[in-house]
Amino acid sequence: MSNITIRQVSRQFGANTALKQVDLEVREGEFFSLLGPSGCGKTTLLNIIAGFLEPSTGEVLIGGREVTDLPPYKRDIGMVFQNYALFPHLSVFENVAYGLKIRKLPKAEIRKRVEESLASVRLEEFAKRMPHQLSGGQQQRVAIARALAIQPRVLLLDEPLSNLDAKLRKEMQTELRSLQQSVGITTVLVTHDQEEALTLSDRIGILGNGELQQLGSPMEVYRRPANRFVAEFIGQVNLFEARKAPSGGEVPAGTISYLTDKYRLSSEQPLALIAAGIPELEGKESVLFMLRPERVQLSLERNLQETNQAELCVTDVSYAGNSLRIAGTLPGGGELIVQAPDPSFSVLPEPGQIFYARWAPEDLIPLV
Amino acid sequence: MDNSNSASPPMRRRTRRFSAWTTLVWIAGSLVYLFLILPVLVIVLSAFSPKEYPEFPPTGFSLRWFSAIAGNSDWSGALWNSIVLLVIVTLLTVVLGTTAAYAIARLEFRGKQAIQSLMLSPLMIPQIVLGISLLYVFTGMGLIGTMTGLIIGHVIVAFPYVVRTVSVSVSNLNPKLELASMSLGAGPVKTFFRVSLPLIKPGIVAGGVFSAVTSFGEVSISLFVYSPSTVTVPVRIFNYIEQTYDPAVNAVSVIFIAVAVIALIIIERTIGLTKVM
Amino acid sequence: MAKTIKMKRRNLFSWILLTPSLLFMGIFLILPFLLLLVLSFRDVDGMMTMLPTYSLAQYKEVFTSDIYLRTISSTLWVALLTTAICLVMAYPAAYLLVRSPSKGVRTLFYILLVSPLLTSVVIRTFAWIVILAQNGLVNEVLLKLHIISQPLSLLWNMNAVIIAYVQVMLPFAVLPIATSLGEITPNLRQASMSLGAGRLRTFLKVTLPLTIPGMISGSVIVFSLAAGSYITPLLVGGRLQPLLPLSIYQQVMQISNLPLGAAMSLTLLVFVAIVVAVLGWILKRWEGRMNG
Repeated sequence: MSNITIRQVSRQFGANTALKQVDLEVREGEFFSLLGPSGCGKTTLLNIIAGFLEPSTGEVLIGGREVTDLPPYKRDIGMVFQNYALFPHLSVFENVAYGLKIRKLPKAEIRKRVEESLASVRLEEFAKRMPHQLSGGQQQRVAIARALAIQPRVLLLDEPLSNLDAKLRKEMQTELRSLQQSVGITTVLVTHDQEEALTLSDRIGILGNGELQQLGSPMEVYRRPANRFVAEFIGQVNLFEARKAPSGGEVPAGTISYLTDKYRLSSEQPLALIAAGIPELEGKESVLFMLRPERVQLSLERNLQETNQAELCVTDVSYAGNSLRIAGTLPGGGELIVQAPDPSFSVLPEPGQIFYARWAPEDLIPLV
Repeated sequence: MDNSNSASPPMRRRTRRFSAWTTLVWIAGSLVYLFLILPVLVIVLSAFSPKEYPEFPPTGFSLRWFSAIAGNSDWSGALWNSIVLLVIVTLLTVVLGTTAAYAIARLEFRGKQAIQSLMLSPLMIPQIVLGISLLYVFTGMGLIGTMTGLIIGHVIVAFPYVVRTVSVSVSNLNPKLELASMSLGAGPVKTFFRVSLPLIKPGIVAGGVFSAVTSFGEVSISLFVYSPSTVTVPVRIFNYIEQTYDPAVNAVSVIFIAVAVIALIIIERTIGLTKVM
Repeated sequence: MAKTIKMKRRNLFSWILLTPSLLFMGIFLILPFLLLLVLSFRDVDGMMTMLPTYSLAQYKEVFTSDIYLRTISSTLWVALLTTAICLVMAYPAAYLLVRSPSKGVRTLFYILLVSPLLTSVVIRTFAWIVILAQNGLVNEVLLKLHIISQPLSLLWNMNAVIIAYVQVMLPFAVLPIATSLGEITPNLRQASMSLGAGRLRTFLKVTLPLTIPGMISGSVIVFSLAAGSYITPLLVGGRLQPLLPLSIYQQVMQISNLPLGAAMSLTLLVFVAIVVAVLGWILKRWEGRMNG
């Protein structure tokens, strides 16, 4: 098992810059996801790690050894592709044994490893079959077995579950995670599905416009996004731009009040935020705040004590089985999206209804 | 959150990784293409060479061989025959081939596969076998040495090409269009002429071009069924080569090559080369 | 109801369309072939006039005479050799075609491949005479460079025939192989390399097997062409080359022994058909394994 170091890697295709400059390190044994929208450069980065593309600048190290000048077949990697890439003219057994034969292992050892690999993905019975006889999910499992059989230093996965239907994808995600944990191999997964990244990873690197937007654990990335790009990409989000309140208003000590520009988040009072721990807000003229829809509570009555509260006029309700998505307008314009767990309402809200939306002060998170 | 952009020495540009194998394959491939084009180059070299043999590197440029064929009645007679043949053969082949390809695509019956193979079979049968069987049959029918016999022979050889190209066009033709036409009241005949035919035009044109070019260059069968009055250009070339070495043949060959390239461009523009071959 | 009637009328129309070409092929392809078959069983007398009797005499002659047996075997051997050489040369050419960096380059390669096919076979063969003749290009260059002092006699032997064959038939091998190459998903190559296989090994274990359909297509075409060519060997090798098509030409055009010529033709046809059938069977087996 090895770690992966990416240093000052950039990549250009003619006039187009796919990767601006990326520095990151994937720790030994960790499950790391490269997440981002299409075209953000994540597959390019994976291909650079694998060796199929050369970086325009920078270096790649695996296990501390520089591999940038090495071709893919010398890097001791295991790779899984979106379209499985099983050799159609070889049986399942021969596919899994392919890398082992190259490493010149003795026949008995090869058979043992192939059987173990297939057993780990629960496909031992399928050894003699040909790829075209397998379903998509089964082919992907064979592809994983093939990559792991050679016991590579790192495992690279390029959107491996994108071709599977939703239910199968969820099953495979679980399998992938437990497999990775039992083997303990350093894994890099490229995906555009943020739910997948959040579920599977130890850490996530979010790429946007060829740059690393944020690097952190799923919780960090979800609860404290580094910027607007990350906040909007991960989960649903309400964004508010807040300007600093003019001096002269009553401001309690230790807090920073912000009045928003387009509308007042509370009908009478300015927003009171907990400033402790967010010294970066000092001196800033305007700050972007985010509020996750599931942190908003709705009630029919107004709470006179509450400062973080706003009147919401419902415009749209969608029922998703386990949750409700309620969109509404705030006084003075502006939209707020609320997510409530299903049992919250015995009768579904209707457009036009008035609710009072409340949230805890610490759920209004500044993006700095 | 680690989002570091460390202050670091300026990034250096990398040089591309070199692969010996890839270079080798490109060299080998280029040599193969050179080998393929060599005869054409040599002929062009000879056709414009002032001397009777090709020179490399060339010493001069001359059109004397072209003027030689222009004045020669042997060549002009053969050219006339070839052109007449070409026109008639192309017309016939296009009609036969288009109807056959369309009909086969639209019909379903037990022997379909066999009939399809039959249509394409002249491509697979050694031309000498075709030649001798036609020779025998024509002698019995009194067609030996006639223009008619030549026409028939050329049509047989050119027919599969038209069937192939038109089949490609027909397979791209959405049958629902024809059904729509018929549901609007047009009978199958009208539908064919108003809807199907215009839509398979690219295949027909490509097939026609193939047919013309094939007829123009046909020699394997012609040699068996021609007579001194029905000599075509390729047959004349063959006789000349056998008997003597006449550099004028180079000039004639250059014309052939030019025709071939033009034909290729037409085919590429109508149906696209990749689909046909 | 109305639809069925329409379909019936449509079918009738299609059959009417099919009839002319069916008739044509019947009269001018199937009939001559059958007559040829019958002809091959006729006897001839010493003066080469046909007798009204039928027997296996012609076939006996083909299969018992030393010369003809040698001719058959050398014809098959030359066709095989040509096919093998074409296959080997086709790969780099096909690779370039598929991996060409731009559309313009690819079109150029296509033109180089296909345009010779649109000229006459006499022209393509004649070019080789110009190249290989005593005062031809090769000799001229070699003499100029003082590598030789006397012009070499490069024509009128089997090597010249094979070289000309390869050049004439190579495009028929390149195109199907290029098609097969183009159909291989690019990820397969990457998967192979990620598992540790270098370029050569990836080619041998993954790329090459997956181009088997193209190889077989190409082989079928090249083999049939090579086995049945007579113009090229006649012009470049001379009449005396031991090739079956030449013998046929001789029997028919010079000796006027049509029955023997017919028997030889059918023999040629049968041998080619056997090879084509075997190749076709291999292809079927391969596709069954790959696609089920």
